[in-house]
Amino acid sequence: MNGTTVLRYALGALGLVLIGVGAGQLALVPEAGAVALWLAGALVLHDAVIAPLVLAAGLLVAAAPARGVLRGALVTGGALVLITLPLLVRPGAPPNPSALPLPYVRNLLLVLAAVALAALLLTAVGAWRRRARERGEERQERGKGDDGGGERDKRDEGDEGDEGGERGEDDGG
Amino acid sequence: MTPHTRWRPSLPPLRPPSFTRPLHDARTATAVGRWLGLAFAVCFVTGLISHYLQRPPDWLAGYLPSRPVWGYRLTQGLHVATGLAAIVLLLVKLWAVYPRLFVWPAVRGVRHALERLSVAVLVATAVFQVFTGLLNIVEWYPWPFAFVPTHYAVAWIVAGSILLHVAVKAPEIRGHWSLRSPGTLQLPAEDGPDRRSLLLGVGAAVGAVTVTTVGQALTPLAPLDLLAPRHPDHGPQGLPVNRTAAAAGVTRAALREWRLEVLGPRPYALTLDQLRALPQTTARLPIACVEGWSMDAEWRGVRVRDLLDRAGAAPEAGARVVSLEVSGAYRVMDMGQEYAKDPLTLLALALNGQTLSLDHGFPARIIAPNRPGVLQTKWVARLEVL
Repeated sequence: MNGTTVLRYALGALGLVLIGVGAGQLALVPEAGAVALWLAGALVLHDAVIAPLVLAAGLLVAAAPARGVLRGALVTGGALVLITLPLLVRPGAPPNPSALPLPYVRNLLLVLAAVALAALLLTAVGAWRRRARERGEERQERGKGDDGGGERDKRDEGDEGDEGGERGEDDGG
Repeated sequence: MTPHTRWRPSLPPLRPPSFTRPLHDARTATAVGRWLGLAFAVCFVTGLISHYLQRPPDWLAGYLPSRPVWGYRLTQGLHVATGLAAIVLLLVKLWAVYPRLFVWPAVRGVRHALERLSVAVLVATAVFQVFTGLLNIVEWYPWPFAFVPTHYAVAWIVAGSILLHVAVKAPEIRGHWSLRSPGTLQLPAEDGPDRRSLLLGVGAAVGAVTVTTVGQALTPLAPLDLLAPRHPDHGPQGLPVNRTAAAAGVTRAALREWRLEVLGPRPYALTLDQLRALPQTTARLPIACVEGWSMDAEWRGVRVRDLLDRAGAAPEAGARVVSLEVSGAYRVMDMGQEYAKDPLTLLALALNGQTLSLDHGFPARIIAPNRPGVLQTKWVARLEVL
């Protein structure tokens, strides 16, 4: 076993210890049976309801033009709806006048409208830039041979993909 | 098709769906997963801090620090903000790996079965944890169990499951860590821009959720607080309330004969006028609720240290505070010596220049630095030297 493998097993063992600590704590909670039921419910809710819905939305988006922006808008809108949903469907009056004090339906619609507007703008900017690039290419075609560097620029830009306003290599972290 | 194809019996007509769409791959899972891991790590650490500030074991109670004054405000604000961000990241992460749910054959051996079991535990506890947290901040409890001990216990299982998962998946994570990692390079190159745009979309979603909610704790962003359960502008005397007098069973009538009792080697009692005649101190301290909202306010009242000294308390004494409220988990509150001797810990009589309103704890309440809001006891009836 080399060092990395030892570290890996140690990490896994530590994980098992923490799981054991949590299970021990959970066993002390009165109504532990109900907790187990709700945990199973969480798994089913995700795997059988939320995930298929999101997948279906993803399949629809796949067919759309400018899908990068559309997908970003849907993920953002979906996230905003999800975190607001408990405020909207919570039964009963708010626990006190300073809790849940905002007009959440109006605010959610406002924020969603802002997301839609941003998506439209991004799409328009992307289309405009694509057209500008194509026009630039035409001009270069006409003035071919003037400038060797222009050819290289064009090729670099072409590799960027066609999403508007998204530049640079993303290392994800 | 591999050249080494074996004969297989005809498959049953029902087969799990297969996924050929791009981005359900290890690079996407790694890129989203490490942000999710970071969010859960922040949630776990800040959650532990909150737990031990709120329910310290006896040996720890005397050492809990009363500074920085904004400490709990920061950690609990982070806890709820990263928890909300984790909801988005968790769903995207699970979307990326969803096809694995349908691998065929479902179980390839003992090792594979154990791995799938550990993933099931991870998914169940992680979804449960962010879901119960989300409902807790709107004070909605549709389940029969107590939220606090359950959220605490499950947090350990989530943390352990993530460590175990990282250990199991370490080679795949390493293989897809960067754009130039060997595993990433084996994925179709044309997925690169698509993945980048997905990650940008996820970043936008996390940003939107954060910006529209974090104003409940980060007051300068209050104008953008459109979707949080609390707002700094909504509350009596410019400060939100967590538990009203009505909810605590405290009425004006019950306060007519109010006197502050102080128990210790030299016990005494004071009327409200006598309290007001004592030297007053002003302190700017936040109320920081365990549900994630917080706000600074200006408090004026008598130093708890002075009241304890007058009862003959030793310098290292702690204090027990008893509220007039009829019932409630925090009716009796103990504070360790660090809080009891802090010159900013007050028995406050006024808030933002006005006499305390009944919902803010009239006639007298505790305000101490770096403590969860539920321990800022309102409607104080008795102080005991410990």
